[in-house]
Amino acid sequence: MNEFVVALGWFGLFAPVALGAIGSAWGCALAGSAAIGAMLDSDGGYGRFIGVSLMPSSQVIYGIVIMFSLQQTTVDAANGAALFGIGTLAGLTMLFTGIRQGEVLASAIHASKAKPEIFGISLAPAAVLEGFSVFALVFALVLAGSIPA
Amino acid sequence: MSNSHQYIALICSLPHLGLLFSRADVPISAFRLKQRLAVLAPDHARLLRDMIAVTDWAGVARCNEDSEVLARANKVVADLADYPDLQHLAGTRMETRTIIAALRRRRDGQETPGDIRGWGFGRWCTQISNNWSDPGFGLSHFMPWVPEAHQLMAAGDHIAMERLALTEVFRQLDHYGHTHQFDFEAVGIYVLRWVIVERWSRYNVKDARRRLGTLVDAALNPSNAAPPFPLARPEPFLGQPAIFEETAS
Repeated sequence: MNEFVVALGWFGLFAPVALGAIGSAWGCALAGSAAIGAMLDSDGGYGRFIGVSLMPSSQVIYGIVIMFSLQQTTVDAANGAALFGIGTLAGLTMLFTGIRQGEVLASAIHASKAKPEIFGISLAPAAVLEGFSVFALVFALVLAGSIPA
Repeated sequence: MSNSHQYIALICSLPHLGLLFSRADVPISAFRLKQRLAVLAPDHARLLRDMIAVTDWAGVARCNEDSEVLARANKVVADLADYPDLQHLAGTRMETRTIIAALRRRRDGQETPGDIRGWGFGRWCTQISNNWSDPGFGLSHFMPWVPEAHQLMAAGDHIAMERLALTEVFRQLDHYGHTHQFDFEAVGIYVLRWVIVERWSRYNVKDARRRLGTLVDAALNPSNAAPPFPLARPEPFLGQPAIFEETAS
């Protein structure tokens, strides 16, 4: 039983990075596809399309920060469950927000191509999703401090 | 590139078409549109080509018999089974065309619809047949454009009638377009819109006037009859939209 909890602990420790990387990759691919398509139909402003398409890459960075905050000198039965719970749920948050951020960014790029003046405001939904990722990051850091060593 | 990413890139590469009648030219040429659509999977390209061929007037103009049009429409609707919204859209478009055909037949003096199943498509054939003398074919309560179209036809206002018909088709496209953004249905709806905008952009008062003058000259002086249609642009309603000409084999 202890070995299983230890295994879960290691799973939880790396989950924020792995799931965050998947979310970032997926989100960047969605938004990047939109940016590439938009560049075909635009005479300028390529940089801003590519720039916003990279926004979902923050999820993997948050995942790395969470992993380091969860890192313990040893992973054992006392802290395995806590690492699993915090790490896995934080990782799922990064995965989901990364994908959804990519989708709303694709929509924002598409819409702002037809109506350039809405470019800034069209990024608001993506910024809100970024905020949710930051919530998960901050409270994972807070809880990491109370995990028994 | 996976399917979803492919459609995101494709849709984002297509310019905004804007509101119907809001611009005199198409924002993307047939050549460019065809280039962009080259990324479609072969099955999707075939479905799109068939749907355009049966919903666009130009495609239907190639058929000699109503039964041929109906057979093609039924086949396209059956082929679109995996895409219910496009299926509904194609069916609704054919039903709209059936209503307009019925209005024209009645305006031309036909006293009964005859064998409406032989020239009509869809849900309203019985309703049209049973309400032949009603200006709106008994459909006015949920299709207010039908009695309006009847009035315009009776008044001989063909341009207003054309605008009304295109507006109704655009409304149908908008209805389904709101639920699709980055998928095959969105591409299909975009191309259907493009065909309408492109068709409207080809209407040209000067060309029409010149053509009328040429026809009158030809009728009055048959010996001097020059080629009757010195139009700079292709005749509306004739010929397949250029985006599908080469791929129609």
